[in-house]
Amino acid sequence: VSSDFFNLLERLVGGGVDFVIVGGFAGIVHGCSYVTQDIDICCSFTSANLLALQKALSDIHPVHRQTANRKKLELTKDNSIEYKNLYLDTDIGQLDCLSFIDGIGDYHEVKKASEAIRVEDMELHVLNLDALIIAKKAMNRTRDKETILQLEAIKKLKNEKP
Amino acid sequence: LFDGRTVKWFDGSRGFFIERRNKTSYDDIMAGTSRKQNRTKAASQQMDEVQPAINYGIDVSVLVQNMARSHTERIMRHQIALNTAEQLRKAKPS
Repeated sequence: VSSDFFNLLERLVGGGVDFVIVGGFAGIVHGCSYVTQDIDICCSFTSANLLALQKALSDIHPVHRQTANRKKLELTKDNSIEYKNLYLDTDIGQLDCLSFIDGIGDYHEVKKASEAIRVEDMELHVLNLDALIIAKKAMNRTRDKETILQLEAIKKLKNEKP
Repeated sequence: LFDGRTVKWFDGSRGFFIERRNKTSYDDIMAGTSRKQNRTKAASQQMDEVQPAINYGIDVSVLVQNMARSHTERIMRHQIALNTAEQLRKAKPS
Protein backbone atom coordinates (compact mmCIF):
# COMPACT_ATOMS: atom_id res chain seq x y z
CA VAL A 1 0.00 0.00 0.00
CA SER A 2 1.40 3.40 -0.96
CA SER A 3 1.93 6.01 1.69
CA ASP A 4 0.00 9.23 1.60
CA PHE A 5 1.45 11.66 4.09
CA PHE A 6 -0.80 14.48 2.97
CA ASN A 7 -3.85 12.37 3.79
CA LEU A 8 -2.32 11.37 7.12
CA LEU A 9 -1.79 15.01 8.07
CA GLU A 10 -5.30 15.91 6.92
CA ARG A 11 -6.73 13.25 9.23
CA LEU A 12 -4.76 14.53 12.21
CA VAL A 13 -5.75 18.14 11.60
CA GLY A 14 -9.36 17.16 10.86
CA GLY A 15 -9.46 15.07 14.03
CA GLY A 16 -8.35 18.01 16.16
CA VAL A 17 -5.08 16.36 17.21
CA ASP A 18 -2.65 18.79 18.82
CA PHE A 19 0.73 18.09 17.21
CA VAL A 20 3.92 19.53 15.72
CA ILE A 21 5.73 18.00 12.75
CA VAL A 22 9.30 17.16 13.74
CA GLY A 23 12.12 14.94 12.44
CA GLY A 24 12.90 14.19 8.83
CA PHE A 25 9.54 15.31 7.51
CA ALA A 26 10.01 18.72 9.13
CA GLY A 27 13.25 18.87 7.12
CA ILE A 28 11.25 18.21 3.94
CA VAL A 29 8.93 21.07 4.82
CA HIS A 30 11.96 23.34 5.25
CA GLY A 31 13.34 22.33 1.83
CA CYS A 32 15.60 19.29 2.35
CA SER A 33 16.07 17.07 -0.68
CA TYR A 34 16.07 13.57 0.83
CA VAL A 35 13.14 11.15 1.03
CA THR A 36 11.79 9.96 4.35
CA GLN A 37 9.50 7.00 4.91
CA ASP A 38 7.62 8.18 7.95
CA ILE A 39 6.21 11.24 9.63
CA ASP A 40 7.42 12.11 13.09
CA ILE A 41 5.18 14.24 15.22
CA CYS A 42 5.53 15.51 18.73
CA CYS A 43 2.16 15.64 20.41
CA SER A 44 0.51 16.16 23.69
CA PHE A 45 0.28 12.78 25.39
CA THR A 46 -2.86 13.59 27.30
CA SER A 47 -5.57 10.94 27.08
CA ALA A 48 -7.85 13.31 25.22
CA ASN A 49 -5.26 14.04 22.53
CA LEU A 50 -4.21 10.40 22.12
CA LEU A 51 -7.81 9.29 21.86
CA ALA A 52 -8.39 11.98 19.24
CA LEU A 53 -5.36 10.64 17.37
CA GLN A 54 -6.68 7.09 17.56
CA LYS A 55 -10.06 8.21 16.26
CA ALA A 56 -8.48 10.15 13.40
CA LEU A 57 -6.60 7.03 12.29
CA SER A 58 -9.31 4.48 13.07
CA ASP A 59 -10.23 3.53 9.49
CA ILE A 60 -6.61 3.18 8.28
CA HIS A 61 -5.83 0.36 10.72
CA PRO A 62 -3.11 1.74 13.00
CA VAL A 63 -0.84 -0.88 14.59
CA HIS A 64 2.19 -0.71 16.88
CA ARG A 65 4.92 -1.15 14.28
CA GLN A 66 7.62 -2.34 16.65
CA THR A 67 5.68 -5.05 18.47
CA ALA A 68 6.26 -8.63 17.39
CA ASN A 69 2.72 -9.24 16.14
CA ARG A 70 2.01 -5.64 15.07
CA LYS A 71 -0.47 -5.14 17.87
CA LYS A 72 -3.52 -3.10 17.02
CA LEU A 73 -3.66 0.41 18.48
CA GLU A 74 -6.22 0.15 21.24
CA LEU A 75 -5.97 3.14 23.48
CA THR A 76 -8.31 3.74 26.34
CA LYS A 77 -8.56 6.62 28.75
CA ASP A 78 -6.68 4.52 31.31
CA ASN A 79 -3.92 2.89 29.25
CA SER A 80 -3.14 5.96 27.12
CA ILE A 81 -1.27 7.64 29.98
CA GLU A 82 1.24 4.76 30.04
CA TYR A 83 2.77 5.70 26.69
CA LYS A 84 5.67 8.05 26.07
CA ASN A 85 6.02 7.34 22.36
CA LEU A 86 3.93 5.54 19.74
CA TYR A 87 5.55 3.97 16.69
CA LEU A 88 2.66 3.30 14.37
CA ASP A 89 2.06 1.86 10.95
CA THR A 90 -1.14 2.54 9.06
CA ASP A 91 -2.56 1.71 5.64
CA ILE A 92 -1.21 5.02 4.34
CA GLY A 93 2.15 5.32 6.04
CA GLN A 94 4.20 5.20 9.20
CA LEU A 95 3.61 7.69 11.97
CA ASP A 96 5.85 8.15 14.97
CA CYS A 97 4.32 10.08 17.85
CA LEU A 98 6.79 11.42 20.38
CA SER A 99 6.18 13.14 23.68
CA PHE A 100 9.67 14.58 24.02
CA ILE A 101 12.30 15.87 21.60
CA ASP A 102 15.98 15.72 22.56
CA GLY A 103 17.52 19.17 22.75
CA ILE A 104 14.13 20.91 22.84
CA GLY A 105 11.94 19.35 25.52
CA ASP A 106 8.36 18.25 25.95
CA TYR A 107 5.40 19.06 23.74
CA HIS A 108 4.93 22.54 25.18
CA GLU A 109 8.55 23.46 24.47
CA VAL A 110 8.32 21.94 21.00
CA LYS A 111 5.16 23.91 20.26
CA LYS A 112 6.91 27.10 21.35
CA ALA A 113 9.76 26.30 18.95
CA SER A 114 7.41 25.67 16.04
CA GLU A 115 6.13 27.78 13.21
CA ALA A 116 2.70 27.67 11.63
CA ILE A 117 2.53 26.96 7.93
CA ARG A 118 -0.41 26.72 5.60
CA VAL A 119 -0.68 23.71 3.33
CA GLU A 120 -3.75 24.06 1.14
CA ASP A 121 -6.53 24.64 3.68
CA MET A 122 -4.68 23.16 6.65
CA GLU A 123 -2.68 24.99 9.25
CA LEU A 124 0.23 22.85 10.37
CA HIS A 125 2.83 23.44 13.04
CA VAL A 126 6.38 22.51 12.12
CA LEU A 127 9.46 22.62 14.31
CA ASN A 128 11.37 25.71 13.18
CA LEU A 129 14.69 25.42 11.39
CA ASP A 130 16.91 26.39 14.33
CA ALA A 131 15.14 24.01 16.71
CA LEU A 132 15.26 21.21 14.17
CA ILE A 133 19.02 21.62 13.81
CA ILE A 134 19.39 21.59 17.62
CA ALA A 135 17.21 18.47 17.88
CA LYS A 136 19.09 16.62 15.14
CA LYS A 137 22.44 17.51 16.72
CA ALA A 138 21.21 16.46 20.17
CA MET A 139 20.44 12.97 18.90
CA ASN A 140 24.05 12.65 17.76
CA ARG A 141 23.31 9.96 15.16
CA THR A 142 25.72 9.35 12.29
CA ARG A 143 22.83 9.00 9.86
CA ASP A 144 21.69 12.56 10.62
CA LYS A 145 24.94 14.12 9.39
CA GLU A 146 23.61 14.82 5.90
CA THR A 147 20.32 16.14 7.26
CA ILE A 148 22.16 18.58 9.55
CA LEU A 149 24.36 19.78 6.67
CA GLN A 150 21.29 20.29 4.48
CA LEU A 151 19.45 22.17 7.23
CA GLU A 152 22.46 24.37 7.95
CA ALA A 153 22.87 25.12 4.24
CA ILE A 154 19.17 26.04 4.02
CA LYS A 155 19.55 28.32 7.03
CA LYS A 156 22.51 30.09 5.43
CA LEU A 157 20.79 30.39 2.08
CA LYS A 158 17.70 31.79 3.83
CA ASN A 159 19.78 34.35 5.70
CA GLU A 160 21.46 35.43 2.50
CA LYS A 161 18.17 35.89 0.73
CA PRO A 162 17.73 39.61 -0.09
CA LEU B 1 37.37 64.30 -15.31
CA PHE B 2 35.28 62.73 -12.56
CA ASP B 3 32.61 64.62 -10.71
CA GLY B 4 30.67 62.31 -8.40
CA ARG B 5 28.49 60.19 -10.67
CA THR B 6 29.37 62.18 -13.77
CA VAL B 7 32.33 61.44 -16.03
CA LYS B 8 33.47 64.14 -18.45
CA TRP B 9 36.15 63.87 -21.06
CA PHE B 10 37.30 65.95 -24.03
CA ASP B 11 36.67 64.38 -27.44
CA GLY B 12 39.48 65.83 -29.54
CA SER B 13 38.07 64.63 -32.88
CA ARG B 14 34.73 66.35 -32.26
CA GLY B 15 36.19 69.31 -30.40
CA PHE B 16 33.85 69.25 -27.38
CA PHE B 17 33.39 67.75 -23.93
CA ILE B 18 31.35 64.57 -23.57
CA GLU B 19 29.49 63.99 -20.32
CA ARG B 20 28.28 60.60 -19.15
CA ARG B 21 26.30 59.86 -16.01
CA ASN B 22 27.40 56.65 -14.34
CA LYS B 23 25.31 54.31 -12.21
CA THR B 24 28.20 54.06 -9.80
CA SER B 25 29.90 56.93 -8.08
CA TYR B 26 33.51 57.85 -8.49
CA ASP B 27 34.24 56.37 -5.07
CA ASP B 28 32.53 53.14 -6.06
CA ILE B 29 34.53 52.93 -9.25
CA MET B 30 37.80 53.58 -7.50
CA ALA B 31 37.02 51.17 -4.68
CA GLY B 32 36.03 48.50 -7.18
CA THR B 33 32.66 47.90 -5.55
CA SER B 34 30.15 48.22 -8.34
CA ARG B 35 26.76 46.56 -7.88
CA LYS B 36 27.82 43.68 -10.09
CA GLN B 37 30.90 43.12 -7.98
CA ASN B 38 28.80 43.25 -4.82
CA ARG B 39 26.51 40.58 -6.21
CA THR B 40 29.48 38.41 -7.17
CA LYS B 41 30.96 38.93 -3.72
CA ALA B 42 27.68 37.96 -2.02
CA ALA B 43 27.32 34.86 -4.19
CA SER B 44 30.90 33.89 -3.44
CA GLN B 45 30.35 34.41 0.32
CA GLN B 46 27.17 32.34 0.10
CA MET B 47 29.08 29.53 -1.58
CA ASP B 48 31.71 29.66 1.18
CA GLU B 49 29.05 29.27 3.85
CA VAL B 50 27.44 26.24 2.24
CA GLN B 51 30.81 24.72 1.35
CA PRO B 52 30.60 22.01 4.06
CA ALA B 53 27.37 20.76 2.44
CA ILE B 54 28.94 20.88 -1.03
CA ASN B 55 32.01 19.02 0.22
CA TYR B 56 29.74 16.33 1.62
CA GLY B 57 28.23 15.86 -1.83
CA ILE B 58 24.94 17.69 -1.31
CA ASP B 59 23.58 19.36 -4.44
CA VAL B 60 22.90 22.82 -3.03
CA SER B 61 21.12 23.88 -6.22
CA VAL B 62 18.34 21.40 -5.35
CA LEU B 63 17.97 23.06 -1.93
CA VAL B 64 17.78 26.47 -3.60
CA GLN B 65 15.06 25.16 -5.94
CA ASN B 66 13.14 23.65 -3.01
CA MET B 67 13.30 26.92 -1.09
CA ALA B 68 11.68 28.67 -4.02
CA ARG B 69 8.72 26.28 -3.75
CA SER B 70 5.73 26.55 -1.44
CA HIS B 71 5.37 24.19 1.53
CA THR B 72 2.59 22.39 -0.31
CA GLU B 73 4.79 21.86 -3.36
CA ARG B 74 7.64 20.54 -1.20
CA ILE B 75 5.33 18.01 0.47
CA MET B 76 3.74 16.96 -2.84
CA ARG B 77 7.10 16.53 -4.58
CA HIS B 78 8.40 14.49 -1.65
CA GLN B 79 5.31 12.27 -1.89
CA ILE B 80 5.92 11.67 -5.59
CA ALA B 81 9.57 10.77 -4.89
CA LEU B 82 8.57 8.43 -2.07
CA ASN B 83 5.87 6.72 -4.14
CA THR B 84 8.35 6.24 -6.98
CA ALA B 85 10.90 4.74 -4.59
CA GLU B 86 8.24 2.41 -3.14
CA GLN B 87 7.19 1.29 -6.62
CA LEU B 88 10.79 0.60 -7.63
CA ARG B 89 11.33 -1.37 -4.43
CA LYS B 90 8.31 -3.54 -5.21
CA ALA B 91 9.26 -4.02 -8.85
CA LYS B 92 10.10 -7.54 -9.95
CA PRO B 93 12.50 -8.49 -12.74
CA SER B 94 10.67 -8.74 -16.07
